[in-house]
Amino acid sequence: MRTFWLALAATAMAQPPDFQRDIRPLLAKRCLACHGPDEHSRQAGLRLDRFDGATKTGVIVPGQSAKSRLVARVTNEKLPMPPTGPRLTANEIAMLKNWIDAGAASANHWAYEKIKLPGVPEVKQAEWPRNPIDDFVLKTLEGQSLRPSKEAPRNTLARRVALDLTGLPPDAAAMAKIDNYEAYVDALLASPRFGERWAKVWLDLARYADTQGYEKDNKRTIWPYRDWVIRAYNDNLPFDKFTILQLAADLTEDPSVDDLIATGFHRNTMTNTEGGTDDEEFRDLAIRDRIATTGQVWMGQTWGCAQCHTHKYDPLTHKEFYQLYAYFNQTADDDHPSDRPVLKLSKDVSTLVLKELDAYKRRTTRIYERGNFLTPGEAVSAATPAAFPAMPANAQNNRLGFAQWLVSKDNPLTARVTVNRFWSRLMGRGIVESEEDFGTQGTAPTHPELLDWLAAGFQKDWDVKRLLKLIVMSAAYRQDSAVTPALLEKDPLNKLYARGARFRLDAEAVRDQALAAAGLLSGKMYGPPVMPWQPDGVWLVTYNSDRWVTSQGEDRYRRALYTFMRRSSAYPSMMNFDAPNGETCTIRRIRTNTPLQALTSMNDPAFMEAAQRLAERAAKDANPAVKLFESVLLRQPSKAELQRVQQLHAATVAELKASPWNAAKLVKYSEVLYAEDRESTLIPDVRTKPREWRFKISDPGAGWNTAEFNDSNWSAGPGYFGHFNKPNESTPIKSAWDTDQLWLRIAIDLEAPLPSKFKMPIRTNSQFDVWVNGVHALNNIFERGGHFDYLLNDDGQRAFKPGRNVVAIRVTRHGARGSGQVFDPGLVASLPVKLNKPSRDEFSRAAWVVVANTILNLDETLTRR
Amino acid sequence: MKQVLANTRRHFLQGGSLGLANLFLAEAQQKPARAGKAKSIIYLHMAGAPSQLELFDYKPELVKYNGKPCPDELLKGKRFAFIKGVPNMLGTPYKFARQGQSGAMMSELLPRFSKLADEVTIVRSMSTDQFNHAPAQLFMHTGNSRFGFASMGAWVTYGLGTENQDLPGFVVLTSGGNNPDGGKSLWGSAFLPSVYQGVHCRSHGEPVLFLSDPEGVTRSMRRKTLDAMKDLNAMERERSGDPETDARMSQYELAYKMQISVPKVMDISKESSETHTLYGTQPGKTSFANNCLLARRLVENGVRFVQLYDWGWDHHGTSKRDDIEFALKPHIAECDQAIAALLTDLKQRGLLDQTLVVWGGEFGRTPMRENRGGTEGAFRGRDHHPYAFTIWMAGAGVKKGLNYGETDDIGYYVVKDKMTPRDLQSTILHLAGADPYTLHYPYLGLNQRLIGPTDEGRIMKDLLI
Repeated sequence: MRTFWLALAATAMAQPPDFQRDIRPLLAKRCLACHGPDEHSRQAGLRLDRFDGATKTGVIVPGQSAKSRLVARVTNEKLPMPPTGPRLTANEIAMLKNWIDAGAASANHWAYEKIKLPGVPEVKQAEWPRNPIDDFVLKTLEGQSLRPSKEAPRNTLARRVALDLTGLPPDAAAMAKIDNYEAYVDALLASPRFGERWAKVWLDLARYADTQGYEKDNKRTIWPYRDWVIRAYNDNLPFDKFTILQLAADLTEDPSVDDLIATGFHRNTMTNTEGGTDDEEFRDLAIRDRIATTGQVWMGQTWGCAQCHTHKYDPLTHKEFYQLYAYFNQTADDDHPSDRPVLKLSKDVSTLVLKELDAYKRRTTRIYERGNFLTPGEAVSAATPAAFPAMPANAQNNRLGFAQWLVSKDNPLTARVTVNRFWSRLMGRGIVESEEDFGTQGTAPTHPELLDWLAAGFQKDWDVKRLLKLIVMSAAYRQDSAVTPALLEKDPLNKLYARGARFRLDAEAVRDQALAAAGLLSGKMYGPPVMPWQPDGVWLVTYNSDRWVTSQGEDRYRRALYTFMRRSSAYPSMMNFDAPNGETCTIRRIRTNTPLQALTSMNDPAFMEAAQRLAERAAKDANPAVKLFESVLLRQPSKAELQRVQQLHAATVAELKASPWNAAKLVKYSEVLYAEDRESTLIPDVRTKPREWRFKISDPGAGWNTAEFNDSNWSAGPGYFGHFNKPNESTPIKSAWDTDQLWLRIAIDLEAPLPSKFKMPIRTNSQFDVWVNGVHALNNIFERGGHFDYLLNDDGQRAFKPGRNVVAIRVTRHGARGSGQVFDPGLVASLPVKLNKPSRDEFSRAAWVVVANTILNLDETLTRR
Repeated sequence: MKQVLANTRRHFLQGGSLGLANLFLAEAQQKPARAGKAKSIIYLHMAGAPSQLELFDYKPELVKYNGKPCPDELLKGKRFAFIKGVPNMLGTPYKFARQGQSGAMMSELLPRFSKLADEVTIVRSMSTDQFNHAPAQLFMHTGNSRFGFASMGAWVTYGLGTENQDLPGFVVLTSGGNNPDGGKSLWGSAFLPSVYQGVHCRSHGEPVLFLSDPEGVTRSMRRKTLDAMKDLNAMERERSGDPETDARMSQYELAYKMQISVPKVMDISKESSETHTLYGTQPGKTSFANNCLLARRLVENGVRFVQLYDWGWDHHGTSKRDDIEFALKPHIAECDQAIAALLTDLKQRGLLDQTLVVWGGEFGRTPMRENRGGTEGAFRGRDHHPYAFTIWMAGAGVKKGLNYGETDDIGYYVVKDKMTPRDLQSTILHLAGADPYTLHYPYLGLNQRLIGPTDEGRIMKDLLI
């Protein structure tokens, strides 16, 4: 970080401090808030982001630090500059002095200077570089008297690059090429898994989710956009085209349906359907988000800061923010609950798109004073910020032109920001660590020439696969990641790349790898998002009775990227491993280490299912422990590892022999888990078969909901119960109920062992309570039309017993007499799993399940190294 | 090894920017104890916005105007969530009386809490600028009405760590059947490392997701797997030299401890029957009362920040289920008992002096009767009202028996001693032992703070001992 560089600078005082690397970041951090571009907060009329004023007034006297008032102020004991926060360190002051004495040369912030193709440097260890990346890396290492590490062993490298390029262990097609690294890499790049992995990286930036966000967080169909992104990566769509289509396909000439789907990028903004919200207020917030996101994703600029005031440090005035706003302010979407406009793709599928308003409906864009949308000020027209080169000559001054401007040859940022992000994913950290901020507050590039060399090359063809291949073919990438204490001391964060990167897998890879190693992962691509198993009670969203309904069959084992993403209640195991929830653009995930992660990978059923399947396969092998290592880690275990694993197996078998039912459960883990697969109808509702209940439409008196109550004088009849003012053909009432309340009773016989997870599919628009054997089992909160499954509460679940059980329901008509009332109940539960006393093999196999789960949790497994 | 760890920690403490990717977080949590009066914080958020005019803000003038049309100057230029046209004023049907030595006015809906009037500071002059639930809750708890900002509990644990390393430092408990409208971001960590996010503990079923070992795996088997993991990871450590490996293993050990410590602290069944009677708790159920008792247990066990969200206070009056009579009465009855019990219980155990308790909603409710769609309905209720609402604070560092701030005759505007969510955030951080103005995290070119980029948030010295 900065202090690291300052330390380096202090030891190399022969040269004057480098303005870009040493002086500018210091001034930006400590001075520009009050002496920067924002005239509203400017103190004493002094700017230190440019120096014409400072030199004129003697604040800086080039060549004479002793005469410079800047130096006097920062060293002043009584009234130091800056007036708040810690003083400048002695080192920092020395640097400023040296800089001034050397002439106070300054330059535009490095990231705003045009990209110039640098020459490839000469290195001493000339046999090491495989491509120019290595020359740049080695030059820096040699400057620090460091040597690169040896290449990683073949299998280590194979696992690493497969995880990096496809987010999975290598498949058979790639493994066939393992003896030729380049052919192996090509196979990975050609795999459809490639697009899925890199799409997810992009979806973080796109703040993708399958719901609208905010209070109700209703479902939204926008997965066709996610599919578009996967295809774009697999087809290696050039990045400039990738950009233009997403930002403005609708404005291009003759866009295809596919092209239009791409505009979903900016339709990922949230829609607020909370009652009483102002649509225009939230449309405005969505536009602001689009600008902030665009700035961060393509240019690494924090444009969002300028919605309230001129940017304090970077070149974007308050007015210019709204000039950018004007590019985005002409789309038809308007925070409507329907998420219009949508593009109909088939009978059942529509997706959100950008659509420009007709010419006569255009909006006037105004500057919002202090960012408050209730106080619009001066009207502005669309324009790009003055600090950057102008729009390309033949570009229209609209959203399309703006997109073309982002990827024009003269834009100094887009290529740098983009190559930096790809670099970071493969090398562990960006050349510019602050991937989201290439402004004056961001971190300086560790290898500025390398960055520009990569950026210049990328700008020529915008070819993503070529860039990724170049990086993974380099010697720098291929280095072993082992680190000595000396190297760890010198460069703990591996900024110099003297070793291969070693870091924890991201959330998706942690899960996908486990499923893939077990042979459970479905290769099915695309389509509506799926719902793998999730704990009960995660979705408790206000005013929203959507349920998480576990998917069937192979949809349970799709890649994590296809998991239904709800913003307000994201999938827990993804969140636990630092995945974002789609509420805002996430440029990079901060990797953490938490006990919740440990709990997830030990106890989340996905990992146990994988363990079960791994164990089944391994148990068939002559040497199961070896097989587990091969399946998960793609290598042979050492003798010590083998011994330790076999020891664990033996100890586990011993434990299981003492509790055989545990062994029985472990070998049938999946079966036990999916209660929904064992669902059986105990009382059919009208949709399966009308079933007779005893019912009464006037007060039956006390005790009516107990098992013993005598209901022989009640009426008997099947659903639907109710009454409509106008007959309703789709809901034929079989038993009339037109009073305020309805009482229902039914008896069912159950045998031990009892089923579990009792739920009631109920059709109603009224409030109701359910009792099981006199125990209160359910009270509904929502009344909505349609059939819903209601899970009984814990008391209700426990109230069932072998023998006769009575379910009693009281329904209360809701609200004023309207067009009618209806009620129809059923009862469903999951049958118990038949567990058998385990055979000897099964004890062993059950123990292998536990061992497999342990191996899935090893640090080596969770790390790409 | 220690040398290497020391280096990692030094990088963190230098407060540099985002090179915290492989931060050794167990170390980071063990910050030196600060001298904040509040060792723990319990924040009781009543989601939906409880009606201050029925509970704490006594407005006899408003009762006089009951049923009269609202004057124009209170409507012109204002935005309402649901009120349309000209609503009528709504005086409270409930009786107020002076309570305790402090003479605090509270309504008959708070029979038990009223007896603790001399224990608490009531602030009747809270004012916000948000009138929709999700943005208002976000503003209150993350310092910004938009998504993407870290929650108060995350800031507190980031700044101060937590005492009990075997439990999460920031625990969230919900009741009322729903999560609050702002969703899980209300206890999220946003740009702060995710270790600081709130851990949502459920009061029935598995207290923390994935806490329990899988079916068929016993505790003793789990220990054996961890022992094997430790040995195998040590071999990896030999090969890789990466301290991350040790950091990860320590999280597994912590998880193992949590498998015991969390269910233990979340199990209220062993509490005395007197305690259950005091709170009105029922083991095994989800309820606000249960959560209050759990909150006491959590802070007793050294958890730094406990946040309760109780849903269902949005008394608009559109039906019997959300009006100020049929709906509010039973809900406030349970709440009254639980909050009185919590304060009494904390006091009896000598915990109140070191625990800050805060209670309130995200905004207030209008002095006007809500007329949904322009027509007055059969049931009485109030719309969202940002300009004036009531919260109370008690415990560590807070004055006892103080009535702070006033609203006008009808409870529309604050007229004396206005306090904002920014002030509340500043004060809470201060009581916890952090400096709200300097506690920051560099992100996107800004030193992000809970209290936002301006220094308008004040530490409310007038409320503090």
